[in-house]
Amino acid sequence: MIKLLGAVLILFAGTMIGFQQAAKFAERPRQLRQLAHALQRLETEIGYGHTPLPEALERTAAATPEPLSALFRKAASGILETESMTFRDSWEQAIKSHWGTTSMRSNEQSVLIRLGSTLGISDKEDQMKHIRLALLQLKAEEDAARDDQGRYEKMWKSLGILIAVLIVILMV
Amino acid sequence: MLARVVHLLPLELKTLLERLPDQMQEQLEEIRIREGRPLEIGFRGQSRFMMADGSLRHTADGAYKPSADTCRKLLERITNYSLYAMEEELRRGFITVSGGHRIGLAGRTILDSGVVRGIRDIGAFNIRVAREVIGASTHLLPKLVDRTRKTLHSTLILAPPQQGKTTLVRDIARSVSYGLWPALETSGWQGRKVGIVDERSEIAACVRGIPTFDVGPRTDVMDACPKAEGMMMLLRSMSPEVLIADEIGRPEDGEAIREASHAGISVVATAHAYDLQDARGRPVLQRLLDEGAFTYIVELKRTVEGIMHRVVSANTIGRAATAREASAAHHRQPVDSAPVSSGRFRADDP
Repeated sequence: MIKLLGAVLILFAGTMIGFQQAAKFAERPRQLRQLAHALQRLETEIGYGHTPLPEALERTAAATPEPLSALFRKAASGILETESMTFRDSWEQAIKSHWGTTSMRSNEQSVLIRLGSTLGISDKEDQMKHIRLALLQLKAEEDAARDDQGRYEKMWKSLGILIAVLIVILMV
Repeated sequence: MLARVVHLLPLELKTLLERLPDQMQEQLEEIRIREGRPLEIGFRGQSRFMMADGSLRHTADGAYKPSADTCRKLLERITNYSLYAMEEELRRGFITVSGGHRIGLAGRTILDSGVVRGIRDIGAFNIRVAREVIGASTHLLPKLVDRTRKTLHSTLILAPPQQGKTTLVRDIARSVSYGLWPALETSGWQGRKVGIVDERSEIAACVRGIPTFDVGPRTDVMDACPKAEGMMMLLRSMSPEVLIADEIGRPEDGEAIREASHAGISVVATAHAYDLQDARGRPVLQRLLDEGAFTYIVELKRTVEGIMHRVVSANTIGRAATAREASAAHHRQPVDSAPVSSGRFRADDP
């Protein structure tokens, strides 16, 4: 009886781990897409609205779903609160502290940090160029992420349950 | 005065400047920040270099040098992290921040078919602390009133730069707009509608179209607008009774002032000139004076005790000038025959 219960628990846990891994692969392209939309929004605010950066970031945050929204909000509040940081530092800090809550990887993190070092300190055309460059890089990452999703999402789903079954067979 | 601009400064500059003695902080007029070069401050018309320990010296040796990082932080703070939203300001070479403080910028310019489009690689900042002297015109105003029309006479204010012209016209605008006529005989007069053409954003120091100085409740400001055009626009749209413009001197300014005075509007304008005779050497001013566009001319001089003013009536200077030409006197001489009144106000009156 107890053996049976243990086997069921192992099967359940294995399945869950598999699904969780698969979800990460499914989540990454979705968040990359949202991030691209957010940057497009930022580009519009800067290029056409001439909105000051803190406000532009707030608006972008309001139009973006979590967890990315928090990242933009943090960057905006960071610069308004501190006296000793440049925008670049505040942006980098916001990204690094919130990166754990997203499913994205270090490639897109470095794209964003690079973008942060130019935001707000050049003229309109220059700003738009930098944002477009970041968008292009994110697009490439998104394509790669979709490939990965196709390849690994299903695999992880079945792998989890199969490993759990293997462990159960070995135990009995 | 430092307290008014300290919020603009990055932490390291703020801590350094706060080491200045209180009296010095109060008299601060300019902070000049140049990347990698000595920090300079200006107060009461003098300038000193600032050492890393907060002391002031005449020579630049061992002075505190702001780093590239400090300058970047400063630029971000004065532009609200949005240099891209400041294109017009960069074309003009200065940014006006709330409180009316002007920050002059220098660096490498960007040209677009020969016309300056903006500045990039900004390496020098000049923070000019704005001071609003409420009551600066109290002594002068009674001498300029038009008793029949219960308003001001058209007046031209002459002075070299940095003598308090802008401070004075700002206070005139405020007093006239509130209806704060200082003399006893004029008490009870109502305020007048005032239009200010503020080409260099100095009089009202507008931020997004809203004056940050108190220029009175009946005052409309055309901000960052070329004077001649701005005067005509205000004439057509806002029906001002008193029109105020800073630093006239171009032929089209003369046209606009002529137009305004024909419409029965009092014009208070300032011009760069050492004195009246100097002003007559400028064709536009000479023509306006000859045509009688101004009833009074005010000369300002900054002295140790404060700012002295001298009011000359324009209908007598015409005669005085003719007499002078007849005697072929080429050297400067005071206009003795004109009824002249002088007085003074202290720049730091509360």
